[in-house]
Amino acid sequence: MKKTSNKYLIAALLIGIAFHGTSIFFTLETTYDALIHLFFADHYSNNWFEPWNPKWYTGFTVMSYPPLVHQSIAALSFIGGLKFGMFTVAIIGIVLFITGVYRFSLLITSSRTVAGYTAILAVFSSSFIETLHIFGQLPSIIGISILMHALPEIYLWLKTGKWRYIATSLSLIAVTVTSHHVTPIFGMIFFIFPLIGMVIMDDAREKVNSIKEVTIKVFINSFFKLLKRIISFGVLSLAIIIGCILPYWINSKNNPITQVPIPHGSRDNFIEVTSSGLVFFIIPWGILLVLLPYIFYRYYSKRHLFFGLSITMLFILGTGGTTPIPRLVLGETAFNILTLDRFTLWASIMSLPLFGEFACRFIEGDLKFLIQSRFGVVFHRISGGILAGLFLFMTIFTMSLGYFKPSQPQKIKMLPIVNFLNQDQHDQWRYMTLGFGDQMAWLSAQTNALSVDGNYHSARRLPELTTRPIERLENSKFKGVEGIGSLQQFLTTPEKYNLKYIFSNDKFYDPILYFCGWQRLRQLENGIMVWEKLNVPPLSSILPKDDVATWQKILWGTIPFLTVIIAFVLNVQFLLVHTLKTRKAIFPVYMNFQNNYSKFSRSVLRITHIWSIILAVIVVYGIYLFYLKNESHHSPENAVLAYYDALDFKEFEKAHSLINPKSELSISQYMLEISVTDGLLSSYAKLESLKTETISQTNDLASLKVITDWITPLEKIEKIDFKKLIKINDKWYLQPEDKPSDLPPDQLYSDNKTAYFNQGRRRITTEQTHHEDVLKQPVLEILDAKLVKYKGSYAIIGEIQNIDNVPSDVVLKGTLYNDNNKELATYNAKYHLKHKLLPKEVSSFRINFEGIAWSKTKDSIPNTFDPDEFTPVELEEQPTKFNLQAAGNVSGADLFKNTAVSVTKKGDKYLHGNIINTGTEEVTIPQLLISYYSEDKKLKWVDHLFLEEGLRQQRKQSFKYELINDAPLKVITNDMSNCFVNGLPNEAISNKIISNRIINHNKEELQTISHKKYDFIKIEINTYIGNPN
Amino acid sequence: MTLKHIYISVIAVVIIALTTLQNDKSKETYSLKTEVAPVFAGDVIILEFSSNSNNMVQLYCSNSYGSVLLSPDIENKVLKFHIPESIAKKSGVLNWQLITATNPLEGKIIVKPKPSIKTIESYLGPPSIEAGGTDYTMLVVIPTDDLDNPLADSTKVQVKHQFLDNQANDLIFTKNGFAYKNIYSYQPSGRILISSESLGLSSKEYDVNVMPAIPTDFSIEAQRIHDYADSNQITTFETSILKDRFNNVISDGTFVNFYITDKNGNKTVTSGASINGIAKSKILHPDHEDQWTVKAYIEGMANSDSITLDYKQAVSDFEVAFSEGNRIINVGPLQSFMNQKIPDGLVVKLKVYTNDNIIDELSQESYNGYVKFKLNEDRFSATKYNFVIETAGITKSYNNITYE
Repeated sequence: MKKTSNKYLIAALLIGIAFHGTSIFFTLETTYDALIHLFFADHYSNNWFEPWNPKWYTGFTVMSYPPLVHQSIAALSFIGGLKFGMFTVAIIGIVLFITGVYRFSLLITSSRTVAGYTAILAVFSSSFIETLHIFGQLPSIIGISILMHALPEIYLWLKTGKWRYIATSLSLIAVTVTSHHVTPIFGMIFFIFPLIGMVIMDDAREKVNSIKEVTIKVFINSFFKLLKRIISFGVLSLAIIIGCILPYWINSKNNPITQVPIPHGSRDNFIEVTSSGLVFFIIPWGILLVLLPYIFYRYYSKRHLFFGLSITMLFILGTGGTTPIPRLVLGETAFNILTLDRFTLWASIMSLPLFGEFACRFIEGDLKFLIQSRFGVVFHRISGGILAGLFLFMTIFTMSLGYFKPSQPQKIKMLPIVNFLNQDQHDQWRYMTLGFGDQMAWLSAQTNALSVDGNYHSARRLPELTTRPIERLENSKFKGVEGIGSLQQFLTTPEKYNLKYIFSNDKFYDPILYFCGWQRLRQLENGIMVWEKLNVPPLSSILPKDDVATWQKILWGTIPFLTVIIAFVLNVQFLLVHTLKTRKAIFPVYMNFQNNYSKFSRSVLRITHIWSIILAVIVVYGIYLFYLKNESHHSPENAVLAYYDALDFKEFEKAHSLINPKSELSISQYMLEISVTDGLLSSYAKLESLKTETISQTNDLASLKVITDWITPLEKIEKIDFKKLIKINDKWYLQPEDKPSDLPPDQLYSDNKTAYFNQGRRRITTEQTHHEDVLKQPVLEILDAKLVKYKGSYAIIGEIQNIDNVPSDVVLKGTLYNDNNKELATYNAKYHLKHKLLPKEVSSFRINFEGIAWSKTKDSIPNTFDPDEFTPVELEEQPTKFNLQAAGNVSGADLFKNTAVSVTKKGDKYLHGNIINTGTEEVTIPQLLISYYSEDKKLKWVDHLFLEEGLRQQRKQSFKYELINDAPLKVITNDMSNCFVNGLPNEAISNKIISNRIINHNKEELQTISHKKYDFIKIEINTYIGNPN
Repeated sequence: MTLKHIYISVIAVVIIALTTLQNDKSKETYSLKTEVAPVFAGDVIILEFSSNSNNMVQLYCSNSYGSVLLSPDIENKVLKFHIPESIAKKSGVLNWQLITATNPLEGKIIVKPKPSIKTIESYLGPPSIEAGGTDYTMLVVIPTDDLDNPLADSTKVQVKHQFLDNQANDLIFTKNGFAYKNIYSYQPSGRILISSESLGLSSKEYDVNVMPAIPTDFSIEAQRIHDYADSNQITTFETSILKDRFNNVISDGTFVNFYITDKNGNKTVTSGASINGIAKSKILHPDHEDQWTVKAYIEGMANSDSITLDYKQAVSDFEVAFSEGNRIINVGPLQSFMNQKIPDGLVVKLKVYTNDNIIDELSQESYNGYVKFKLNEDRFSATKYNFVIETAGITKSYNNITYE
């Protein structure tokens, strides 16, 4: 038998490399995972044998992920840089995938023509495109490709028992496991087990005359005949899987993943969350959905029976939370740890040979003749056109998904950030990025500085992170309360992590940074805002690390490449013989079991037709529902929903198009009105949920109550609006609302203020403590401090004054002790403090002792979002004393103080008042600090209120504050002997500078209130200026 | 002496005798040949020992800089140890010890700093002090030789400082290697320049800022365009020049709180930061007749007297018109003190009651002198309502308005 080159395979390779090889340059860097692998590769390129990486989290080990792909990129990076390495590996992955699919298909169908068709179709398969161009899962692709290469070798070993084949199959399994650990484990179950079944079936078939004569008895006989080979293969491959990445397993055992489950779209109910359904079901299956009846029919044929069972399992597991079955099959733990999209990927790959087979039969085989004879030539052509069209549509749709719905923020130029970190020893501290997406990994790869955050959540160890179901701090706003809550802990006590710099690409986080005491440093030329925290000590020069034995390091650094070399040596003969056709090769034995392609089953054709019609109906109905839901003028609810959606995404033109066109509100007037509104709600809020209640509806008029929940970085806001709608020309529109008409007295006015500039180092030197340039810390005085217990949680409250002559940034750190001086908890002041004080200015403060949220009560994580959610620390013992450390640092930033606050009405429950902006800056977020005093004017509690709307210059805005209830409040101690300022005793300082302080000086200016427990309050105001002039 | 002691002594003598006998053959002796006199830092120091053997022994040297073990050059039973420069250039005591088993020798060499000065090391802190003569800054001066050794004690150092017209010159002497001087602030604020000089060499210039002390009581005054309560114009409060008790103008940026108490005891707080001693602060006029008592504080340190301000009613009366089945309530014209329309933004409140229960409170800002409330039928169903309209401190009630 003369063997010729398979033209289809060659075509598939050429097209595949041209198509994917060019497009990866536009897609790979914006995928979810590719840059993470790049970061790992960067690690290996710097320290091939050192598994400890200090750059992410507070250090983690790269032994938590199989190293082959990363090490390959690293090795190639020595030639042309990291990105060269990544793209080269990606192209190798593409080649391996196409050839792998070809060999797998040959194994399944025993037809070179079919395998050729499969190879071409695999190039454009939507699941492969999604995995490569949207998810960027290089190790996963390489893993599954090598596994497909291994399958024929395994078959041959089991069938023929030639030692050569066990060597080749094990060598390929070794490569698979060093590139991706999950693939061989599940591949064992879903690919190799059915393959074993198929081998036994083939063996049984050889004993009898036809496939029909294969009975269970014959099958069992064959099974026992092959048992020795199966067991030897099983044991050896298990040894390979464990041995090749032994350090990985040791590490998994020593550092079990304590991470609480992180929600993943593949676990959603795809019918409820249609976006997840699209990404994790519709796209990977693509056109295969139409062929499902054929695929199941073929895989449930006797020879492939076990593949049929396997693909059924994969199909069901891939549906995630749509049905309860995956949860039952996998168990609660595995269900919450695994991302289930991989099952769909494997199922779609397993379907590819049959897709190729179908295409082959449809284009040139029995199916063509069957259709042509039954429905005519035209029908065959039309249906062919439709199928091809659908296939191409899915390919292009998947490819363009990343373009139309970018999963990442726009590409950020990293050079200015890298330069910033290198300058002036900024890399002596840790940094954090906000709103960078997966690009943070690329930044980490380029700089030596260390980040608190990271992008490989399985490896992290800080309980602050592992107890939260968040991927990264960096995108915490998408993760609701858990996200922002976790972020707040890092922002409030940055000293603990030596975190000094934050690069913010998302202004959403600005308020939380400000109110946690951070200040803007400057905007880099790439538009990234740098935030800085004062009083953070630099990293120590020796950082803790978990060291592992040297043999593990050597194993980890050498085995992966060794597996590749061994696999290459063992398989090179086959490769050369096959590609160069140097000598006549015998066909492998599996080629003897070809399917009969002469008679296409009529019933399968009929079922396929019915199934296609059902699918078409579902699709059309889905599109119709989609239209109804998205046609904004269709109903009053739609109009309101679309209007709020447009506001949320700042699409003001669209919002205006939903406003009554007869109301004479021009777009320019509307835009102007929008542009002058600022504040927490309009500039920093994300719409979380919207509910509408129809109060009344007639044919042309409707009145709706709109209840909206907004997530802001500071707290959750619930708002109730009443909207009136009108129907004009069969379309619903919203009636516009009145805008405030307040006219300020001055058109132009002036204001003087004192500006400060801190030179930093006057001499350009890297000397760390150049004596003359050490700026004196401003002197603060703690006027009052006491430990109180209120509603079950402890807090230190008090007042602090800047008694120096320069403005000061204030950091307050409180520690609680019990009677035996055992430290119980420590935390910093968060919102309840004006972090920037002018000379002689006073601020009330409160330090809450927050625990690591939900660390104890994992199951009670609330489903709803509340960034202001507060988890009091669980103390084992009763705190009786406290230590309070105040640190002042000169700061000229954020010193806007021209906001007045006045009380207009005192109710039993509410306090009404106004805030007035008399300065020249627009106040974006005003915050009130309200201190409660007892009858004898002793401080009892400090509360706060964020106002939702901003305050424009020379304007007044009213507020309504709900007084705290009269829950019991206990002052545990007011012993101030352990209060320190800049490390010196508070009392000594105060005696030296203000020896004759007027005690209770302005206590007569406290506001009286009518409250059962408290007689007086003091209101202070703290303002966040979003856009300083 | 007890028997036990004798017993132990005898054994000890026997053991010593035995060991001496044993070692007798190989006994080595060493003696110091060099005359040990004080040397100057940087001089070459060689220690010579004579010995009866050419055996290798080591010399242990230790000074403030660190410790070394030295090996000798041996010539004709003379051991020569060259003390390395890194040790020899440090002034202070250099201890040495010859490490031998038989007769350990030890001694010390006094290394004196060079008599000539090369640099003056000086430190000053804190960099800012308070005016008044009680706060001070300390200058520490360390004259050193060219090997960075502090010069010998009692080296004369001149400390000079200049403040305004004063220029002072103080003589101090080093002790334990350094000299120091406390420089006290003067009553005026300003900047003291400080330098030092020793053995003809001058240090660099230092400066210390003398900051004003804490402020003393002051007075305030108010400025306004007119005295009508129109809720629109701005009243500005201003302090007198804030000074400390030495008559220094306090630092710029000093924070002053102004507390305003109205007739009802409600407080308003507005604040200002001082420039050239004057802190200014602004507030909007009230919207109704009122009397304000204003007092300013620098908390815990100083305060002003209180002043009172009277605001006259600007809007004397307004009309209310109901239309469209009473569902539209028109308030206005709202006229100010010259019968002009009040500037936009006066807040008018409408409280809606049914049977004395408040069910809603609407508030709206005036535009062109009018405010129009629209009460829609979905929110306010057909029943009887009482309305109370409040603005500019005037309240008007309309009872039993029926909606259909």
